[in-house]
Amino acid sequence: MAATLDGQTGEYREVVATGLWREMPVFRMLLGTCPTLAVTAAVKPALTMGLCVIFVLVCSNLMVSLMRKALRPHVRILLFTLTIATFVTIADLFLRAFQPRMSEVLGPYVPLIIVNCVIIWRAEARASNSGVLVSIVDGLAMGAGFTIALCILASIREILGTGHLFEIQVLPKAFPPWAAMGLPVGAFLTYGFVLGFINFLKRKRA
Amino acid sequence: MLDSLKHFGRESWLLISASLVCGLLLAVANAALGPRIELNKAAKLTNLAVGLLPDAKTFAPLDPVEIRALDGRTEPAAVFKAMTDNKVVGWVFKAVGAGFADKIELVVAVDASFQKIAGYDVLSSSETVNFGDQIKDAYYRAQFTGAPVGRLTLVSPGTAKPEDIDSSIVAISGATISSTAVVQAMNYYLPQFKEQLEKKGLIGNGSNP
Repeated sequence: MAATLDGQTGEYREVVATGLWREMPVFRMLLGTCPTLAVTAAVKPALTMGLCVIFVLVCSNLMVSLMRKALRPHVRILLFTLTIATFVTIADLFLRAFQPRMSEVLGPYVPLIIVNCVIIWRAEARASNSGVLVSIVDGLAMGAGFTIALCILASIREILGTGHLFEIQVLPKAFPPWAAMGLPVGAFLTYGFVLGFINFLKRKRA
Repeated sequence: MLDSLKHFGRESWLLISASLVCGLLLAVANAALGPRIELNKAAKLTNLAVGLLPDAKTFAPLDPVEIRALDGRTEPAAVFKAMTDNKVVGWVFKAVGAGFADKIELVVAVDASFQKIAGYDVLSSSETVNFGDQIKDAYYRAQFTGAPVGRLTLVSPGTAKPEDIDSSIVAISGATISSTAVVQAMNYYLPQFKEQLEKKGLIGNGSNP
């Protein structure tokens, strides 16, 4: 019994480590790049996008996991898309109802979560062949990894682009804001530098 | 025949069941959140209207009027009477245009006699950033402020001056579809609202606002 519990804990630990580092979508697998570049001009929209992705990942993983034994190969992708689209629409409606301002800031990027490959990847790679609990933990870990990456990029861009973080002044007023950090060029540069830094750390550890 | 039906059922029961469950989830979410979303939209409409008619102190909703939408269906539409100290200073309503990515919802304000456009603002749109979404910019919107209520014409950049206030609207370079959508929405909705308010005796000769 104790061995089984240890085994289960070990499996969950493995799933969490995979989502938060080993297969972290944005920095290790380079997946979900579109929202990564588009909504990271400030931390608030990046965090909101991350929370929406966590919700969709957990719900779609749960539903796919429940259906996994009855899944047939030719309707598999169709069912994944149906499930993901449903939860993305619910997330979008929720934002429009309770965070209308943020919904406007994020614009089409919330509905575009439907085509975020991180979600269909987890449905295919984890939820379609794992139990419900493991699939939920996987959704939480992958979503958290995605959210952390978005928040790191958004923090750098918001601080350098405006001198603020969460709309609070963090750099001296003498610092001239780098307007380019709020533009697509700032997104690409920040993403590139952070990826380079992570690769540097990886090589140093190897 | 029976074998075919059995085969169809075996292969597709999960897809049909999942569709029903997802449809039910969406219906519940829409029923629960829809009214709040509409309230948010109404609040935003009023906020935008304040910017278009700064003299107005209150925006009183009238009984909805019957308006033919872009798809040809007749539907009730809200009209707000902008007032300052019991004096009508304008009218506010919603107009919809067919944009590049999706429909564009506009808040349109006209003066008290429904002769001139007081301005418009964008309630919702999914137009391309830095292209179609320039319909939100003051440069384009200013061309409508003071323009006569009547047939507006979209002209190419360079053929007219944007600062001239007349029925010619200079298109946004690189965003012709979005520019056209705004002009078409004005041309489509303004005459309808004007006719409805005249019918109610709120504007025109013998009006009693």
